[in-house]
Amino acid sequence: MRGLLRFASPKFWLPTVLALLVAGLLWSWVARDNPYVLPTLSSVGQQFVDEPELYVSNAATTLQEALLGLAAGTAAAVLLAVAIGESALVRRGVTPLAVILNVTPVVAIAPALVVAFGFGMTPKVIVTGLITFFPVLMNTVTGLRSVDRHVLQVFRTVNASRLDVLVRLRFPSALPYLFSSLRVVFPLSLVGAIVAEFSAAGARSGLGTLITVASSNSQLDRVFAAIACLAVMGSFMLLLVTVVERRALSWHDSQNR
Amino acid sequence: MSCEPSTDAPFVAVRDACKAYGTGPQTVHALDHVDLHVPRGRFVSVIGPSGCGKSTLLRLVAGLEQPDGGSVAICGRTAAEAGADKMIGFVPQVPALLPWLDVLGNVRILEKVNRAGTARRHRQSTTPRRGGLASDPVKLLTRLGLGDVLHRRPGQLSGGMQQRTAIARAFALEPDVLLMDEPFSALDEFTRESAQLQLLDVWQELRTTVVFVTHSIAEAVLLSDTVVVMAARPGRIAGVVDIELDRPRHHGQLDSAAMHEYEHVVREILGTAWNPREELQGESA
Repeated sequence: MRGLLRFASPKFWLPTVLALLVAGLLWSWVARDNPYVLPTLSSVGQQFVDEPELYVSNAATTLQEALLGLAAGTAAAVLLAVAIGESALVRRGVTPLAVILNVTPVVAIAPALVVAFGFGMTPKVIVTGLITFFPVLMNTVTGLRSVDRHVLQVFRTVNASRLDVLVRLRFPSALPYLFSSLRVVFPLSLVGAIVAEFSAAGARSGLGTLITVASSNSQLDRVFAAIACLAVMGSFMLLLVTVVERRALSWHDSQNR
Repeated sequence: MSCEPSTDAPFVAVRDACKAYGTGPQTVHALDHVDLHVPRGRFVSVIGPSGCGKSTLLRLVAGLEQPDGGSVAICGRTAAEAGADKMIGFVPQVPALLPWLDVLGNVRILEKVNRAGTARRHRQSTTPRRGGLASDPVKLLTRLGLGDVLHRRPGQLSGGMQQRTAIARAFALEPDVLLMDEPFSALDEFTRESAQLQLLDVWQELRTTVVFVTHSIAEAVLLSDTVVVMAARPGRIAGVVDIELDRPRHHGQLDSAAMHEYEHVVREILGTAWNPREELQGESA
């Protein structure tokens, strides 16, 4: 109940609404005289009225690619982080590879992935996974290491196993770090999916394909309608992470409001 | 346990322990041929200036460090064997609680690790478990004045409450020996006194063998049966004082003449141990 009341208070929604309003006014002011730089807001809105199912279906495709890539990238990163935390050998062997992977521009390897895996969903999921992998890996490695040394000593005096330490100390200690990386990679996964679609239009297109086609036809209103879809999806993804984080980390200092 | 029930046999025995840190001219002799004997059921404090190796001594007994020379035995076992059978309770300088668990969860957490050790210990045990207070975390916490905050998280507690939770966590193991490393040093004086009395209250009932490291003379005398005074550079034992004050001890004794007398004795030994020149002056006087 208190949570709902918080949303109703003007203090909560007024800053957001005001900021959007100002941005909208500036936009309209530029768009009025420069139709080939920015479309008017009304023409963008008209897109949704005219062809709602076009945006819904393309957004669904992109969202599916993003979420699958996100799941794969995050899972792989957490598993590898545990291996790195438990073994110095793995750490020394894998860290340089992870850095190489991180500095490789995905745009450069995306066409090769299309050649290897075809025009289906696989290359898009891989690209998204690659983009989300590194931030999660680095944060989780740091988090697993952030166990208080006095607590470790107490656990050592009762001869706790490595599994005990991992499950009862390291995982919970890593959660705040994991969540802060998820805040970054959830919205970032959309960028991954879009970039992959830029290099290979799929059987089922997606918002990235829609943007490529529309911009080559100078349909600016369509481009920005697709971007608006991305903005909405990104915001909801961030909201989702925040809500789950607030539940899972109620004990952590970062949640003191 | 399989140990002799006789009260005079050393239950915790450190024999001729040496421990040095660093190499060459920077070598610090934290412990130089140190002997410590703690009979079962005794409350023994180790006191000394900083750098005298009292914490190192405790860490050797806890199995957190290995001696360079000499041996550590707890009930005839090595520190590592004792740890594997969960015979050791350890209270560090800071509470070291898990922030995501509530008070009760923190006290029960050690139950859940090394379950094989718990089982082994119960099998080997010839004496019945102490039962009562230590086997019931809620009762134990209530006795330590934490009955109202069982389901609070450590972040919502005062420093004194957190440290008492850490002490309850160690007692809940029903350890054969309880090792405490300056557990009250971070507390303000009022909080410290009440924490000391609550510790005495629980100890009076459980009579756990305790090795308690402190740098407060009054604390050592109030709590202990025996005070071991250490000296620094190299870390060694300067003297041992038996405190023959009645038990159960209570707050009124803090200001008694007998108490002051013991504090004086300990301070004298500390004074001679602190600075060799003072020792010479003392002899010439």
